[in-house]
Amino acid sequence: MEDFFTHHASGPLDFARVPALLAGLDGPDLLRAGRLLARLTPGDVPDARTCTIAVTGQGTLAPLIPALAGELARHGLLARTTVGQFGGYLTELADPASEIYAAKADLTLCVLDAQTVFDEVPVPWRPADVEAVFTAKLATLENLIGRFEKAGGGTLVLNTLPLPHRFTAQLVDHRSRAQLGAVWREATARLLRLGEEHPGVVVLDLDPLIAEGIAVDEPRFRSYAGLHLSEPLLARYAREIGHLGRGVAGTTKKVLVLDLDGTTWGGVLGEDGQDGVRVDGAFRDFQRVIKQIGSQGVLLAVASKNDAEPVARMLRDHEGMTLREDDFVRVTANWRPKHDNLTVLADDLNLGVDSFVFVDDSPGECGLVRRELPGVSVVQVDVEPALHVGKLLRDGWFDVRELTVEDGKRVTKYRDELVRKDFLDSFDSIEQYLKELEVRVVLAEADAQQVPRVSQLTLRTNQFNLTTTRLQQPQVQAMLDNPQWTVLTIASSDRFGDNGLVGVLFARRDGTTVHLDNFVLSCRVFSRGIEQACLSALLGRAKAEGATEVLAAYRPTAKNGKVAGLYPRYGFAEAGEGLFRHDLADIVEVPDHLHLEQR
Amino acid sequence: MKTLDEFVGLVRTELGLPLTDGDARRTFDELPGWDSVYLLTVLTLLERRTGKQVSLPAMLEAGSLEQIYTLAAAA
Repeated sequence: MEDFFTHHASGPLDFARVPALLAGLDGPDLLRAGRLLARLTPGDVPDARTCTIAVTGQGTLAPLIPALAGELARHGLLARTTVGQFGGYLTELADPASEIYAAKADLTLCVLDAQTVFDEVPVPWRPADVEAVFTAKLATLENLIGRFEKAGGGTLVLNTLPLPHRFTAQLVDHRSRAQLGAVWREATARLLRLGEEHPGVVVLDLDPLIAEGIAVDEPRFRSYAGLHLSEPLLARYAREIGHLGRGVAGTTKKVLVLDLDGTTWGGVLGEDGQDGVRVDGAFRDFQRVIKQIGSQGVLLAVASKNDAEPVARMLRDHEGMTLREDDFVRVTANWRPKHDNLTVLADDLNLGVDSFVFVDDSPGECGLVRRELPGVSVVQVDVEPALHVGKLLRDGWFDVRELTVEDGKRVTKYRDELVRKDFLDSFDSIEQYLKELEVRVVLAEADAQQVPRVSQLTLRTNQFNLTTTRLQQPQVQAMLDNPQWTVLTIASSDRFGDNGLVGVLFARRDGTTVHLDNFVLSCRVFSRGIEQACLSALLGRAKAEGATEVLAAYRPTAKNGKVAGLYPRYGFAEAGEGLFRHDLADIVEVPDHLHLEQR
Repeated sequence: MKTLDEFVGLVRTELGLPLTDGDARRTFDELPGWDSVYLLTVLTLLERRTGKQVSLPAMLEAGSLEQIYTLAAAA
C-alpha cells in the first residue's frame, strides 16, 4: 500500500489524499512528513485550503514549523507559518507593524514557558519574588492582548507555563516549595481566565499534555539552543493547534458514529445474547465518555452489523448500559455495508460525510470506510477496551472555541428533523407539507448575546454559506459596533418545535447601495421557504431605507454548489465578479405558508 | 551506521533534503534547504542510532555533515 513518503517521492502531491496518508503516522514519522510538508508553497498544491499561523514567544520556536505542517495536514490544511524573532513576543505583539501582525494570521501563537518568568527573577529568590514577576507578566500580557484586539486580527493562542522540578527543587524546605507551587498555580489560573474575558484569546492548558508523560524541556537544547520547551512537547502542542485550525477552517466534526460489538460493549450480541455481552469496566468508561461528548452538541449514531430488534432491546432494557436509544439521533443495525449506512445517515441529517467520525474495532470495517468514504475520520480501536477512550480522545475531533445555547439542544433538534422527514413522507405534495408544517420565522438585528452563535454559524455552515466568510467572535462584534453593517439573525420554529437561531444575513450600506456580503442558513432548515422570506424582507428593508440596489456576493466552494443559483432565482441579475444585482423594482414575496416577523 | 555515506543517507531520508554523498564536505551554508535548527534533529537521530551521547556545543561548532559524523564516531 502506498504511504505518505512514497506518494510524496513520486510527486506531484495530491493534497486531498494527505489526511488519509498521514492517518497512521505519529511521533518522529509525522515530524518527518511535516518537514516535507513545511516546504510546500500554495503554488505547489493550489487546491489546498490554507491556515496562516504566526508564531511568537520566548524561546526557539522554529521546530514548531514542521510539527504544525504535519498536524494541520492531518486535517487537510496547508499551514503557512511565520516565526518571529527569538524572545521577541513583547515587541512583536506590541508593534502593529511587526511581521507577526503583517502575517494577518488566522492563528497567532504566543508560546510561553517558565523561563518567561524565571528570567526576571533575581538570585537568590523566594516564592514571593516569583509571584511578583508572574503578576507583572500577567499585566503585560493583558496589555498585549489589548493591542492584539485593537489590531483586529484573528485568534491569539496563549498557553500555561508548566513548572519544572528544577525550579521547585531549588527551594530546600517543603513549606516554601508548596508555597511556590501555590503562587504559580494561582497565577496560572488567572492566565487561564484571560480566555474567558477575551473572546479572541484561547489559553491552552499544557498540564494535561505533560501529564501524558512528555518532558517539559531537554536541558542541553535549552542551554545551547534556547529551546525552552522540548520538541515532543512542541509537537503535542502543535496537535492542539491542528484542532483549532480545523475550527477556524470550519471543518469541525459534528457526528460520532459507533460500532457496537467489540466497540461499545464486549462480545457479539448475536452470539452471546443480551446477558452474555459485557458492559462493565472499560466498556462502561467508554460509554460514559461517549455520553459526555454527546451532551455537548455532537450527534451520536450507531452503525452496527446486527439485527435491529435485539439491538433495540439491548439499548432499552439492559441494566448496565450507560448509553440509551435516546442518546442517538439514529441507530442503524442491519447487514448492509457500513459505508452505505453512513451515506444514508449523512443525507438524512443533511450533513456531509466528512463531518463524521467513525469508531470500530474491526480493521476490515475501518479499512472499507476509509477507502469508500475518505472524508470520514476513522478511529480504529482494538481488542483492549481500556485503550478505547484514549484512542477516541487523542484527537480533539469535536473541539470548538465555545459552546452555545444551541449545542445543548442539537441532538433533540436533529431527532425532530428525522421526525419531520417522516411527516413529509406522509404528504402527496411538498406545498401541502409546508402548509401543515406551520413555519414561523423571526428576523431581528443581532445583539451582543448572539455573537457566539453568529460566529459559530459562519464557522460550521458549509452548504448554505454564500461566501464562506468565516468570522471569529471579535469580528462579529466589530460588525455590530459599526453602524454601516446590519447583521440580521434568523430564528425559526414549526409545529415540531423551536429550531433556534438558524441563519444570518450580513449586509453593509455604502451610499445608496446595500452590499449583501454573506447569507448563512443551517442545513437543518433548507427548503422551507425561509431563504425566500428573508431575502424578501432584506430587499424590502433596503428599499424602505432609500437604497437603489442590493449587490449580493456568491463565492463558490467545494461545498456550496447548491446555492449557486440562489440569487438569480429571486430576481437578482448577474453583475460579474461573483456579484448579483437587484434593482429593488420587483421584490419576491414572502411565501404564503410561512409567517414572518421582523424585529 | 558505519560509513559517512550511510550517515548522509540517514540525514537525507529524515530531513527530506536532496543530499548527495558529495554534500558531506560542503559547509551548511552551501547545502540547499539547510536550516540550523536541523542540527538538533540530527543530534537526536545520532544519539538514537548509536546509543551514545554526542556533545551539542561541539556539534553547533561543526561546519559540515562530515565533521558531525567524525564527532559522532569519536563519541
